[in-house]
Amino acid sequence: MTNDYLLLTIFLAIAIVFPLIPLAMAWAWARLFSPAKPGKDKQSSYECGIESTGPAQVQFQSHYYLYALVFLVFDVETVFLMPFAAAFLKLPISAFLALMVFLLLLVEGLVWAWAKGILAWK
Amino acid sequence: MLTALLPESLLVVTALVVLGLGVSMPRARTMSTVITLLGGFAAAAVLLVFPIDGNFLHGMVVLDPIARIFKLVILALGLAAAVFASESFPENHFAESLALILFGTVGMMLLTGTEDLLMIFLSLELTSIPLYVLAAFNKTSRASAEAGLKYFLIGSVSAAFLLYGLSLIYGVTGSTNLLAISKAAADPLLTAGIVLTLAGFAFKVAAVPFQLWAPDVYEGAPTAAAALVASGSKVAGIFILVKLLTAGLGHWSGAAGWGQFLPGWAPVLALMAAASILLGNITALVQSNVKRLLAYSAIAHGGYLLLGLTSARTETVSAVLFYVIVYALTTAGAFGVVAIVEKQNGGSRLDDFNGLAKSSPGLALCLLVFFISLAGIPPLAGFFGKFYLFSAALENPSMLWLVILAIAMNAVSLYYYLIVLKHAFVLPACGNIPSAGSPASRALVAALALAVLALGLAPNLLLGHLTQTGPVKVASLKTGN
Repeated sequence: MTNDYLLLTIFLAIAIVFPLIPLAMAWAWARLFSPAKPGKDKQSSYECGIESTGPAQVQFQSHYYLYALVFLVFDVETVFLMPFAAAFLKLPISAFLALMVFLLLLVEGLVWAWAKGILAWK
Repeated sequence: MLTALLPESLLVVTALVVLGLGVSMPRARTMSTVITLLGGFAAAAVLLVFPIDGNFLHGMVVLDPIARIFKLVILALGLAAAVFASESFPENHFAESLALILFGTVGMMLLTGTEDLLMIFLSLELTSIPLYVLAAFNKTSRASAEAGLKYFLIGSVSAAFLLYGLSLIYGVTGSTNLLAISKAAADPLLTAGIVLTLAGFAFKVAAVPFQLWAPDVYEGAPTAAAALVASGSKVAGIFILVKLLTAGLGHWSGAAGWGQFLPGWAPVLALMAAASILLGNITALVQSNVKRLLAYSAIAHGGYLLLGLTSARTETVSAVLFYVIVYALTTAGAFGVVAIVEKQNGGSRLDDFNGLAKSSPGLALCLLVFFISLAGIPPLAGFFGKFYLFSAALENPSMLWLVILAIAMNAVSLYYYLIVLKHAFVLPACGNIPSAGSPASRALVAALALAVLALGLAPNLLLGHLTQTGPVKVASLKTGN
């Protein structure tokens, strides 16, 4: 028990030191060797990807969310259908019925959304 | 296995039928209510006629007589919400609200019949998610949207707490089964797990300091949804908390007696109980909206229930279970009256209750029964419930400090309950208002009032079933599967 926690403590110490080493090396390199040539791009904070344009707070269609939610029906269905299909021949009839009920639940969700006109882009 | 879940399956099928009806015939509101009720009665009939006891799927589904009583009570509360829905839910998407009530009820019923951490978490989520949506169901109302959002945000944070706590418990004990957990050795990490789990459940019970959502949700949500949040989800939450604490974590109770604190979950519960009783009762004094008042009263009652849990003995457990059922029936009835008055007068402020005794005397009488029972005055069920709860808690004399606090604060609570009754019985009405409640809602309110009266006069009707089979314990460990 004590040993476990000791290991954990050592691991924690290493975990803290490990990222500090490259940082310290980079700092030392910058201090000792690199010439000081500050510029606009060098001073800016690091961001990956292309430079962003325009404000972030724009309006967009909440319909996207609904599509994503409806997509979940197919998503979940696949996750459960794959293992079911793989073990299909070994399963009893009750498992088949249970999965059919499960599919009914999902399909009714889709049918409901369809009937409510959620799939039509407005 | 399938028969063990037959009542829940029936409810799910009913919900699907109601959803289908909502799409094909959106105007047939009465028909959807009738189908909901029929499905509920069928599920109740299955519970009553084919009682199954046993342990299925390694403790995922555990059925015993007490769990069955709770399933019946929760089913009744769910159906009550479905009946009150016609008073308070908007007319479009009405069938969907009924289906959501049914799904939430299924979650609560599953919650009462399990002894497995995974299943506890899943059923809690199945309970909560429909309730979040129901709280926000009135799309044209700002208050409803606010209620739904607050409930959802605080609910998901507390679900995260709960999940983290449960995963710590699982990590330490190596099992998700309550019986296996009760046999595990003590460990410091387990304490953290228990505290986090308690935080998650304290949200469900609206105990201080996790009570902030309650007033806004009770006030803003459609009244039928608030009724379900206040009654059904509280019953289910308390029941599974009792089961988790006594069956799973019984060894780590500690003690909360005056001057003899021992670390464990009991002192945590005692502190939350004391804070809830104080804050709930005192804040309720200044409320001008009956639904908000009921929310603070719910916080206080959550405190009483936690008080009962702090000394987890046989008597206190059955006292807590009895009290939570009585409380839920009373609150559901009170919300029913509020729903009818709200439909009639367009609001649930205290002034909207003025002259209720003149315009609809029957409704006012029911209101009297519910509020007097909440205050704990004989001969109503609330009195017996409190009496039994406090005397059972005093079996452990060192808990006297908390019981004295609870009784003192209960006297304070009488004031705000009587204020509501003063508005209903003494103050004159602003105008003559015809009563608007549907016959079904009025009949249901009357039935709930009768039930509260009956349980006060003959508590043994229910208590006999709760004590006869012993305390909630890890049910019959014969694997029935």
